[in-house]
Amino acid sequence: MPFDALLGNYLAVFLATIVGFGLIATALIAARLLAPFSKEENKRTSYECGMTPIGSTRAQFSFRYYIFAILFIIFDVEAVFLFPWAVTLVDASKTAFWEMIVFIGVLGAGLAYAWKKGVLQWNRE
Amino acid sequence: MTEGLNLDYSLLIPEFLLVGLVVAIVGLDLYAPKMKKTWLAYIAAAGLVAVGAVSLGYWDTDDNFANIIVVDDYTTFFRVFFVATAAVICLASATMVAEKFRHPGEYYALIILSTIGAIGMAASRELMTAYISLELLSFSLYVLVSYQKFDAKSNEGGLKYLLLGAFASAMFLYGMSLIYGITGSTYYSEIAVGLQNPTGDFQWAMLMGLVLIVTGLGFKVAAVPFHMWTPDAYEGAFPPITAYLGTTSKAAGFALMLVLFSQAFEVVHDDWSWMIAGIAAATMILGNLVALQQHNIKRLMAYSSIGQVGYMLMAIAALNSDTAQALLVHLVGYMVSNMAVFIVIIAWYNMTGKDEIADFRGMRERAPLLAWVLAGALFSLAGLPLFAGFVTKFVLFQSVWNEGFYWLIAIATTTSVVSLYYYLQIMRQAFVEKPAEGEESRLPVPLLMNGLAAALMVGVLYIGLYPQALFDVVEAATDVLFV
Repeated sequence: MPFDALLGNYLAVFLATIVGFGLIATALIAARLLAPFSKEENKRTSYECGMTPIGSTRAQFSFRYYIFAILFIIFDVEAVFLFPWAVTLVDASKTAFWEMIVFIGVLGAGLAYAWKKGVLQWNRE
Repeated sequence: MTEGLNLDYSLLIPEFLLVGLVVAIVGLDLYAPKMKKTWLAYIAAAGLVAVGAVSLGYWDTDDNFANIIVVDDYTTFFRVFFVATAAVICLASATMVAEKFRHPGEYYALIILSTIGAIGMAASRELMTAYISLELLSFSLYVLVSYQKFDAKSNEGGLKYLLLGAFASAMFLYGMSLIYGITGSTYYSEIAVGLQNPTGDFQWAMLMGLVLIVTGLGFKVAAVPFHMWTPDAYEGAFPPITAYLGTTSKAAGFALMLVLFSQAFEVVHDDWSWMIAGIAAATMILGNLVALQQHNIKRLMAYSSIGQVGYMLMAIAALNSDTAQALLVHLVGYMVSNMAVFIVIIAWYNMTGKDEIADFRGMRERAPLLAWVLAGALFSLAGLPLFAGFVTKFVLFQSVWNEGFYWLIAIATTTSVVSLYYYLQIMRQAFVEKPAEGEESRLPVPLLMNGLAAALMVGVLYIGLYPQALFDVVEAATDVLFV
């Protein structure tokens, strides 16, 4: 493809990029120039629905969420694969059906494994 | 769409059996908690040997699965090769894993899974399948390298391996996409057809694709300048896994390269030959020179393995049916010798908990059989006569010489001599230095370790003294690649 044509096709993208940057820069500069500023200590506290915040903003949460999140994502992805399969199931071959059964079986075995390992138990010794 | 394709699942029985073995091992670990954990290793090894025997039944088969996986003598050769390696590694880790790890079942399961990946790399004739097999191998290895959860070095090695491995995979994928863009296919045979037509305007794209593919695979086999992860991963990993990294992971990389370059890229041989020759020269020189300064045995073996990769890359650069045969011969010789060295390192580490070269002092008095096996295996790696390394290096160097790469052979022979120096350094500690005071007593070497070491030594001597059997097998295995 000649260089000119390449440039022509992407000209709109370049223009949109430049205009986009310009808009944001204008807004930020205008705010800095026009808006009044006041130095108030309370402005630096974290926002908590209008109340005065209690304790540090660095809250700890249980690490166990992590394993649940991973298990959840696996089955989420399974669903993503299941939908197109279900839509084309009538036209697809028998192999497609059995392959999905195997896929679900593998994930099921994984869940059974996690279960037996005690991952799904919230209060573990 | 599936009409006309051969979907004969019986071709893949060995892989299905391996998956079954994985499930069985993890299941036993979970549902038979009272069983001794060392038994997991014995069951895994027995299962692997059985799968190896089943794979032998496919000798002389020449069939394919949907044109993406080929089952021929080449595949059978590597099936047996990888399965045997994994069996030795499982046996070698039996006692240590049972004592140290909280999840012994998964350890063996990951080793077997990575074996499936390695077999897939040798068997596939299509880029996506090859890539997925490569990732199966790599993912299992990332976990295995960082398996000592509470050891900082293991974590460091695992993280470096993971990050650089992911980077390499991305390069390999991008190279694949460029090649696909030029030839319109991911099948090796169709890529070869596509490249036969003059590529004209796409010359640069093709070169870029080749560079990226060579880079990606170079990372995986640890060729200079893509070797940075190797010493750290080797040092951090659990010793049997270090041995596994040095054999299966490299052999699988070469199995893939050999097929890919002979089946898909052979028509543009001149475009990639010089790249690989250059990498081979750098790898031989740097690997062998940096090995001289190491004081940790695992780091030394890491650099020694980098040097060995350099020798093997020469065969890819000068690719034809002779060098392909020589490469497989050398791979087998290297595998047996390297495993023998590592069995000694593992046994020594089990008993003393040390892995510096200076800690090997007095081995001849404390564990004589191990010391003699170490000597034989190191001589074999250096390429001295009587041992496997001499024959395999001789065949390899000669076949590359015949292709006209004289300068590469000059570097290879010189660096071989250099390598003898650092191998002898280990032997000096084992044979000349006296044991430290208070540590003169004989060590109780387990029968299993002595047996493994002796068996591998027999293998080293067998290949060294009577290589004809190996030559015959390898000739049959590579014949299918060059029709």
